[in-house]
Amino acid sequence: MRDQIAKYAGKLLRDRSVVPGRVAIAAQDDAMISEGASDLSRLAADVLSRLSCLGVVAASPSLPFAEFLLRRAAAGAGAIVPLDTETRTFLHDIPIARSEEIAADPARAIAALLSNRKGVIAEGVGIVASGPVTLEQAYIHYSCVFHAAFVKYLLDVLREGFLLPGEEEAFRAFRETFLRPPTSEGLAFRPGPLDDPGEVLAEIRAVGRYTVERGLVDSFFGNISYRVGDTIFISQTAASLDELSGCIDPVPADNRSTTGITASSELLAHRRIYEATGARAILHGHPKFAVAMSMLCEEKNCPIKDCWKDCPNVRMIGDTPVVAGEIGAGGLAVRVPPVIGAPGKAIVYGHGVFAIGRDGFGEAFRSMVEVENRCRADYYRRLDARSGGQSKSE
Amino acid sequence: MSLREQLLVVDLSSGRMRREEIPPDLLRAYLGGRGLGVRLLRERHTLSPYDPAMPVVIAVGPLCGTPAPTSARLSVVSRSPLTGTVYDCSAGGRFAWRLRAAGLFAILIEGKSPRPVVLAVTSAGEELLPAGGLWGKGTGDTVRALSGRGSVAAIGPAGENGVLFSNIMMGEGNAVGRGGLGAVMGVKNLKAVVSDGDLRTPVADRERFDRARADVLRLFRASPVIFGELGIAEYGTPALVDLMRQRRMAPTENFRRTVFEDSSAYSGPAIRAAYGAKKDGCHGCPIQCKKSAADGRHLPEYETVSHFGALNGIADLHAIVRSNDACNDLGMDTISAAATLSAWGEARGRFPSPEEIGPLLHDIAHRRGEGELLAEGSRRVAEALGTPGLSMSVKSLELPAYDPRGAYGMALAYATSNRGGCHLRAYPISHEILRKPVASDRFSFSGKARMIKIAEDANAAVDSLVACKFAFFGASLEEYAELLSGATGDPHTPQGLKEIGERIYLTERFYNARNGFTRAEDDLPARFFTEPGSHGEGIDVPPIDRARFEEELTKYYRIRGLRDDGSFPDDGFLGRQP
Repeated sequence: MRDQIAKYAGKLLRDRSVVPGRVAIAAQDDAMISEGASDLSRLAADVLSRLSCLGVVAASPSLPFAEFLLRRAAAGAGAIVPLDTETRTFLHDIPIARSEEIAADPARAIAALLSNRKGVIAEGVGIVASGPVTLEQAYIHYSCVFHAAFVKYLLDVLREGFLLPGEEEAFRAFRETFLRPPTSEGLAFRPGPLDDPGEVLAEIRAVGRYTVERGLVDSFFGNISYRVGDTIFISQTAASLDELSGCIDPVPADNRSTTGITASSELLAHRRIYEATGARAILHGHPKFAVAMSMLCEEKNCPIKDCWKDCPNVRMIGDTPVVAGEIGAGGLAVRVPPVIGAPGKAIVYGHGVFAIGRDGFGEAFRSMVEVENRCRADYYRRLDARSGGQSKSE
Repeated sequence: MSLREQLLVVDLSSGRMRREEIPPDLLRAYLGGRGLGVRLLRERHTLSPYDPAMPVVIAVGPLCGTPAPTSARLSVVSRSPLTGTVYDCSAGGRFAWRLRAAGLFAILIEGKSPRPVVLAVTSAGEELLPAGGLWGKGTGDTVRALSGRGSVAAIGPAGENGVLFSNIMMGEGNAVGRGGLGAVMGVKNLKAVVSDGDLRTPVADRERFDRARADVLRLFRASPVIFGELGIAEYGTPALVDLMRQRRMAPTENFRRTVFEDSSAYSGPAIRAAYGAKKDGCHGCPIQCKKSAADGRHLPEYETVSHFGALNGIADLHAIVRSNDACNDLGMDTISAAATLSAWGEARGRFPSPEEIGPLLHDIAHRRGEGELLAEGSRRVAEALGTPGLSMSVKSLELPAYDPRGAYGMALAYATSNRGGCHLRAYPISHEILRKPVASDRFSFSGKARMIKIAEDANAAVDSLVACKFAFFGASLEEYAELLSGATGDPHTPQGLKEIGERIYLTERFYNARNGFTRAEDDLPARFFTEPGSHGEGIDVPPIDRARFEEELTKYYRIRGLRDDGSFPDDGFLGRQP
């Protein structure tokens, strides 16, 4: 267990979702083990002792967005409801616990919320998340809450502006010092087309790792594949893109074998994209600005309420099409393939980016970087315009 | 919450029947299904399975009758003549839904009828019908004869003749399988139960319920195991054949090997190609994982094809399908039947051929010739032949088609299972093989004691709701707690459900302990600790490390609050339970 605690604490630091020195992880087998910042470590252990779970992560997020969302929420609100796909599908909502609600017994109050949800935002504490089956799950749930809070805060600020003291300064610091523009510089891609399965697996592993290292995907989200003849080599479901060794399934085009039952939930989308485009490589990540901007629709008087799954329109962000569609057996496998061919990239509403490579992964990776940087630029352009408007009115 | 649920008590000895209200506190504490059945056995759990006073409890759960996905199910609970443990089995079809529509939440059947009968229940009342003309008939004929009265749960000749692994078969092809509850019905002279009704089950908070239902369905669509193009909705559970072959954990020739080179003969795609398999399944279930041939014939599940296939060295798909047909009609469990034949085959030095298996299955069901011994299950067969080590069973229940050398959580879960060698109590295949909800290291014991304990508790709650385990390849107790809250109007949480599950699990273990079960029975066949599986393709399948297994088992007991020998620290456990 201690090696797993060290592993996931390290991942949280590397993906820059926690404040260094402000993370703790508790795990219980026949005994409780808790390591990290002493106050958080005690809290994590106390929370875990009240739950039928393997592990708990308690950490101060590296950005104050979750805390701001909590404080911006209406008085009496018990949860925030981000509308990105991961939240809709897996989290449903994120409970919030204000200082006064947890002051008497923080562990008891947080455990009560975690008895019904995967992660909690606790004022003055940070994000606390549980792992019912494995310790990795606690890490994943922390990461999901961090991601959801990030995206929701971007959108809320754009819509409502800064409402709390210190928000604008914190956001400026985030923009000027925290953010690093994603880039493909310094990365080596094998030129395609690739035909040797060993080389394909090695390239998938390398590009998966790049995608995580360059911040284009969090925790175990995203997927990646390469087509050789009638076989699609695709990352397995619930696989972290930076740990794909042994986690890539070869799936024959004619489904003569069902070994690929463990393949990514987006197998069908990958297959349809290959059929529609003739591409060799597909990369799918969840870069945060692209996710946020995909949810910013300016259609007036639109009758559609569940835009994320029901919108039939193709919207454009620059030269990148945005389409709706649920994951897995939902609609994205229908809506992405027809639009991704010419631009080589597409965004799924509230979900993430698909990018293709005609021969190799270099093209796909660069496309994803380009989409995210374009979305960042668009976001700031809108925010600055809004701030400018505010300044004038002020 | 509408907790005024009805229990029908049937005394077959006297023919008296009465409906009574189930105490609401009992439902809050045990939910329904398995939990309720286990609780209703409290005063009689030490009786012999064949004692007329030993009840058979048929119970639905609080989600049955609502549109909650995969919840048109029931549990049947009694004591197993095969294992001697308290025993429950969950089954789908349409019977459970119709039972609730008849205004019943559960039936407790006790006593012994002086002559064969059928119990018929409707929303208008219940009656015992003479069944002399049906006695001796297969389940197919029985179902056809009774289908005008509603949904049928019947035994076949195997149950009538006391085969220790006889099933209760649902008319829709689902089975109350494994532990021989068909024989418990048979000894009571109860040929079948038929249910029909027109009552609707109310939903207390429709908006909350519908929201939770939408969440569940979204998670089903996001799960490759459920709705993926290679998943169980497409191919049924035989979708696992190729995967188990690739993971090198397909039990072959009585677990002597773990790869059967010809398994593609009965894979999901092979069955589809040969039989034009189409979707079929339980009432209202969106997954429809059962598969039927174009002529309506029920096609075999993963366990069945693998055990009548690899375990007996047979690659003839049509022979396997015939074996499945025979077991279903005779009312016998396919896993135990195939595994018993395999143990017998290894003991005599030759596994049965496809041509021999059909007649042998009929001999077992009628206890004729070799069938007289084979009807006792593999443990008794192997002991009688002087080769006790050849029974691949735990607590006398034959192991299903997941070799424990390829998944150490599965190894531990087989050992700790309260009903014997069953994969469904903790179902670690979900995370060790299918990566749901996340993957765990299948060749490591690290953390597995806690994982198995939590999963056993969670699944005890699932079996009491009663929902299908396959739903949890996508959804979780989080969404099902919401469904339950919406259905009943009472607040439920996943943590609360796991605590209920823990109560149920410990109650079962306590009953078993009273019946003489100890740490010695929480063990695997010696073969798994001494012989390797089939190495190859970069995968090493060594024997399980006995010391590490024992260490994890001890951890498991400590996590459960038991002594290191697996016993309860005091005798007062039941007295502290509601």
